[in-house]
Amino acid sequence: MRTMLKIENLTATVGEDDDAKTIINGLTLDVPKGEVHAIMGPNGAGKSTLSYVLTGRDGYEVTGGSATLNGEDILDMDPEERAAKGLFLSFQYPVEIPGVPVMTFVRAAMNSQRKARGEDEISAPDFIKQSREIGKALKLDAEMLKRSLNVGFSGGEKKRLEIYQMMMLEPNFLILDETDSGLDIDALKTVADGVNAMRSPDRGMLVITHYQRLLDHIQPDKVHVLSKGRIVATGGPELAHRLEKEGYEGILGEVA
Amino acid sequence: MTTALRDMIANPTTAELDLVARYGMQPADSRRERLFEAFSRTGLPHRRLEAWKWTDFKVALQGLDRPSTPPAQDPIPHAGALVFRFSSNGYFPPDHIPDGLNVFEKDEAQALGAAEDVPLGALAASLSGGKARPATLLLEVTSKELPRLHFQFSGEGEANFARVVVVVRSDMALTVSESHLGGAGLTSSVIEFGLQKGSTVNRAVYQRGTSEETIASTALVHLDADSHYTQTSLAFGAKVARLETRVTHQEPSAKATLNAAYLVGKDLHADFTTHVRHGANSCVTRQLTKGAVLNGGTGVFQGKFFVPRTAGQYTDADMQHKALLLEDGAVVFAKPELEIYADDVECAHGNTSGALDDDQLFYMRQRGLPEKTARALLTQAFVAEAFAEAGALEEVLRAEAEAWLAAV
Ligand SMILES: Nc1ncnc2c1ncn2[C@@H]1O[C@H](COP(=O)(O)OP(=O)(O)OP(=O)(O)O)[C@@H](O)[C@H]1O
Ligand SMILES: [Mg+2]
Repeated sequence: MRTMLKIENLTATVGEDDDAKTIINGLTLDVPKGEVHAIMGPNGAGKSTLSYVLTGRDGYEVTGGSATLNGEDILDMDPEERAAKGLFLSFQYPVEIPGVPVMTFVRAAMNSQRKARGEDEISAPDFIKQSREIGKALKLDAEMLKRSLNVGFSGGEKKRLEIYQMMMLEPNFLILDETDSGLDIDALKTVADGVNAMRSPDRGMLVITHYQRLLDHIQPDKVHVLSKGRIVATGGPELAHRLEKEGYEGILGEVA
Repeated sequence: MTTALRDMIANPTTAELDLVARYGMQPADSRRERLFEAFSRTGLPHRRLEAWKWTDFKVALQGLDRPSTPPAQDPIPHAGALVFRFSSNGYFPPDHIPDGLNVFEKDEAQALGAAEDVPLGALAASLSGGKARPATLLLEVTSKELPRLHFQFSGEGEANFARVVVVVRSDMALTVSESHLGGAGLTSSVIEFGLQKGSTVNRAVYQRGTSEETIASTALVHLDADSHYTQTSLAFGAKVARLETRVTHQEPSAKATLNAAYLVGKDLHADFTTHVRHGANSCVTRQLTKGAVLNGGTGVFQGKFFVPRTAGQYTDADMQHKALLLEDGAVVFAKPELEIYADDVECAHGNTSGALDDDQLFYMRQRGLPEKTARALLTQAFVAEAFAEAGALEEVLRAEAEAWLAAV
């Protein structure tokens, strides 16, 4: 069985009891091992919400359906457990953590994950070597990795730092939430190269984006359109081109 | 005599009567008398006094000598330092006093400016001495290269009081540390720093006690022109603990940096109170206080900048207090105050308290950190900012804070 992420008829609400709003509304999606799927959709469609529901953020309540990763139900796991299973989210808005240097943080994250999986901790020299190589590939300044995580980083730098963390942690399922936004043309290329380097027959990816531009660099196997909390259209890479030309109204008008 | 003394404090508690008795055993000395009078005006400070509304020694202090527990371990390294230990067992100065430090052990009490404003400081000054302990330890620094001075204050089941005066001569420099470790119902010390023109002092203060002890540390700091005073405190509290610092900028262009962190667990209470008087032009004050409190713990921050009309022009002063309520049931009281009469000044203050940020916690957990680790790392980073100016002791203070957080 090649299915990796399997979401079936998922519904989820956001907000406290009385004002709980259903944002994910009967969403079904399969991402097999080795494939890259893109999700596109209008603002407010529920794309980020889906990524938070899958990674277990507080305040997002699953009210129906299921989601499994490699056959395991992930919805009852703590966020850190899901991370240890290899689920990684590149945040649309990476969070600033004052006083915690990038490398300290990533090493703690890496070792926590290893511990949860019953593996040995990474040695300091190995960690530094790996960090240096990945930093170089992403054109990240060594000084930057000593600074507090995301604090005072530009929008584009934050996105590159997400990819740095992703490459360091070597997750097996990646969710990229608008990783392209805020990146200049060269940075987009660098980041895409990083993501492509992660492509492997054992990894799956969900790439959330508004722009065809990113998909020129990271060729998706499938493109889904998410609207009002469900997948309303699925196609090959050509669907992204059509969206670019016709806009959501054209496509959504057709399905509605 | 006894009746006259008894009348000194209105409606005295048992502990106050014990204090009066202890005063009665001191040699007669008019300065001592004035100091004890200053204390008697309020007695043990209590919640009906504005400056003590959140920190009530009168209620907290049940018995002076109540042995409670042995004093806390002293984490500040003694190696390489000139250690002066004040204990209820006696006074233990360093074996060897190097050039550049003059030591005067006085048997007489010395007058204390603003004694009425610091009742527990006045008390310490009036009851210090006896058992071969100096009533006043006077130190004069005439060097820039002394080893760190370290003062350790503790009781061995018996109340302990100490008075220290440090004068740093022009252009000289001193690093000093203090540990206030409890070990009795009440331990109280008062220390004064006089920084002459162009001198610098870097002071670190560590305080730790149990829920059966009350601990007071009072510091009075006088800054001459171009002097620079840096203070970093770490308090874990006690039944009640008060670390009070009063700084006077008395000549132009002095600078004071006052950083502090309080980490307070169940049944403990830590109070940081500061008063900074910008009594001369172009002086600078930077103050940062960070707190983290658990269920059943209480943190208190009272900060005041006072800038009179007649002096204090071009004052540049900033006061920040930020507290983390780590659990439900944690309590923080804060009162930041700016009292400014001069017109050309830059004064700012900020005061926040709240829980850890959910967005930060989720981000860290998404990367695989267990919730407990993420909380500890965030709290540690939050608190550690207060130790940035502590020089060689930064790591020691940080490690103490980390150990506390790891045990939470
Ligand atoms: N915590 C919340 N409380 C209330 N409503 C929320 C909350 N989080 C998200 N929503 C709402 O859920 C809907 C979906 O938001 P989401 O962020 O998932 O959209 P998106 O598809 O990622 O949009 P964009 O393309 O702008 O990033 C929006 O209408 C948003 O206002
Ligand atoms: Mg979004």
